[in-house]
Amino acid sequence: MKMMNGNEAVARGAFEAGVKVAAGYPGTPSTEVMEYTHQRYPDIYCEWSTNEKVAVEVAIGASFAGYRSFALMKTVGLNVAADALCGAAGSQINGGLVLVVSDDVGRIAGGDYNDCRHFGNMFNIPVLEPSDSQDAKDFMVRAFEISEEYSTPVILKTTSVTCKTKSRVVIDEDYTYEARFRHTYPVSFSKVVMTTIMMKAKDSTHPKLTKYFNDFVENIDRLARDSNDSDLNKLELNGSKIGVITAGTPYYYVKEVLPEASVLKLGLIMPLPEKKIRALAEHVEALYVIEDGHDILEKNIKDLGVWVIGKELFPKFPHMTRFTPDVIEEKLVPDAPKRTPQKDVPFRLPISCAGCSHLFVAQTLKKHKIKAATDVTCGIIGCFPHMEAYSLEKCMGASIAMAHGYTIANENKEDFVAVIGDGGFWATGINGLMNLIYNNGQSTTIIVDNSCLAMTGGQNVPSSEFGFNYKPENKLDITKVCEAIGIKDIVTVDPHKVESLEAAILNAVNAKTNSVVIVQKPCVTRFKLPKDTPSYIDQDLCTQCRQCLHVGCLAIERKAGEGSHQIVINEDLCTGCRLCSTVCKQEAIQP
Amino acid sequence: MKSPDTGKNIIIAGVGGQGILLFSNILSQFYMNLGYELKISDVVGLGQRGGGVESHFRYSNKPVLSPFIKAGDVDYVISFEQTETLRFLHCLKADGVVLTSTYELTSSTVNTGLQKDLSESKTEIIKRSGKKVFAIDPTEHKSPDFDISKMMNVVMLGFYAQFRGYAHDDMTDIIKESVPKRFIEGNLKAYELGTTISDGNLVAE
Repeated sequence: MKMMNGNEAVARGAFEAGVKVAAGYPGTPSTEVMEYTHQRYPDIYCEWSTNEKVAVEVAIGASFAGYRSFALMKTVGLNVAADALCGAAGSQINGGLVLVVSDDVGRIAGGDYNDCRHFGNMFNIPVLEPSDSQDAKDFMVRAFEISEEYSTPVILKTTSVTCKTKSRVVIDEDYTYEARFRHTYPVSFSKVVMTTIMMKAKDSTHPKLTKYFNDFVENIDRLARDSNDSDLNKLELNGSKIGVITAGTPYYYVKEVLPEASVLKLGLIMPLPEKKIRALAEHVEALYVIEDGHDILEKNIKDLGVWVIGKELFPKFPHMTRFTPDVIEEKLVPDAPKRTPQKDVPFRLPISCAGCSHLFVAQTLKKHKIKAATDVTCGIIGCFPHMEAYSLEKCMGASIAMAHGYTIANENKEDFVAVIGDGGFWATGINGLMNLIYNNGQSTTIIVDNSCLAMTGGQNVPSSEFGFNYKPENKLDITKVCEAIGIKDIVTVDPHKVESLEAAILNAVNAKTNSVVIVQKPCVTRFKLPKDTPSYIDQDLCTQCRQCLHVGCLAIERKAGEGSHQIVINEDLCTGCRLCSTVCKQEAIQP
Repeated sequence: MKSPDTGKNIIIAGVGGQGILLFSNILSQFYMNLGYELKISDVVGLGQRGGGVESHFRYSNKPVLSPFIKAGDVDYVISFEQTETLRFLHCLKADGVVLTSTYELTSSTVNTGLQKDLSESKTEIIKRSGKKVFAIDPTEHKSPDFDISKMMNVVMLGFYAQFRGYAHDDMTDIIKESVPKRFIEGNLKAYELGTTISDGNLVAE
């Protein structure tokens, strides 16, 4: 018995399943799956791939070679990898192929309103959802078995709750690792290739043709039939008043709040066990579906012709309920006591770490009124209203191509640059840069190179000097890559040298040609950079203009003092970077 | 004679970087050793970047179902930042206990004038909540032996353990295993300070 969170349990499950290859891309809340796999189970080859699509392709290759493999990402990343998954869906599978995908239910980690189960529906592939860490470990093993038995990739769906909840897990202490090997098919083709042959040559027995045959429709139908007898789906018939179909952690909320209810706990949420659903529907007076995320179970159940109460009682978009026991109690328990939270407690916007390079870049752009696009790296924080540094922000890696589009459209009449992190650059931004050059783009790209993927806790990127498979000779160099792509002006600056940063950005922007400014400083938090003496604010000089607060630094606060408010620097958080003193017109901020 | 402890629901709150996860890991090991069932759910948003962090900590002599504690079922709110304390007051049982630091990290919305702060002192609102409240001001307990801005979590662990009447050796053994070697001594001092403050409070009561 061990206390494990969902991420640890998934890693353990991969180990006990005899996985050989793990490839992924960091994304809160599931990043730790790869970190635990790498730390604890050195038999498994691990890599952070350059993006999620690449990760899935690596896993597909390993699976075709006959070895169990998994790809890890959050659901936002599955959007990137969707094409790769589509190719694998319904194709011949040798070694089990599993995608561990995590939904940010309740937007706890700041993810978008994504729900990975849509991909289950769209590609007709099975989705498993654990309710606790024991499930997470067990289902990981089951996912590989299903993948091989029914020749299909399988999604193991976790959430921001299952990933970060610790509970007891029984592990096989005597387990000895063995990489599982299974080589059934000499070829594995996407459905396009397969169906071309299968439809036209369905009666053929010629081995050159039959090797293309893979009855993916029957495979998933067979799984649907078998799911009625599978212990992955547990039907608990109790009282006949209320019935609930549920999956994931909401199962436990239901058990706690509605102990009398009859419950169908789905572990395999796609395809659905139709018989079990009908059995529950017949047993109860009112049937509810309680699911985190979108109304996918609800729609799929209604498609079977079974009426369930779901979003009419628990509205979804735009608020995207994360279920809690409270939400269920409020709606389904008569006379539940009302409890009112303390009113007007201020909310917290995400804010950059003190000394962060992104603060310097954002401040420079604001000062010179240069408009900018950013992506979802730590630069995203500059979009929030306490900073207001950026006007366009979209997905990972997007900023370079967006700035190119903007500049093309307004014929370069306005300064508009791209800001991107080193993570976003390698993930997909590099495509934007190649595109910009060969389409004659003339915009400026500011690459904030902090030597890691900072937002998710500091994982390696191709230009990092560390990583699971790091070798100095294989480190990629951002400058050289930009040169090779054909960027005319490339300059590298230290953001803490504010004057050179300003000069570099202004020169690049004013040149009206394609250019890259690499802003280089390791992430202050990840690499625990040494601090300088903290700055302080001379209260006699401070006029409370709040300019320093709009820099967006975690260490500057406005506090109730004696009689009036004071703007102060939190000396425990300040790194002594002096950015704030450059914006203070009163020269009140001193080292 | 006290009846045996069948379990408690605890919310541990604060902001990123305050050692909430360490606090919850130490307690987790402690209750595991006592043979309890546990579920601990950490809600970590953009914690590292000034966001709120909450850990729902449940131990029980029966299997724990929901990873989240329902409002009204909380026995203890242990919070390292008093704005965060306010968010959970309504979740406490009638006889619930608040153990809070009076440290405050002003939210960026208040800093930049996007939102008004509460007009009253947060410490006073907490004290008036009608619950049993222990508020510790870290600035009153600065020590040359350790940095209280970093180790307030362990100070409050000492307070909690003393309040609950736990064997300190069991807790300090876990601390020694949980923190890097060079920080053990400071953490033990912090823990000891917590137990002393707790004693003072309990006597004063």
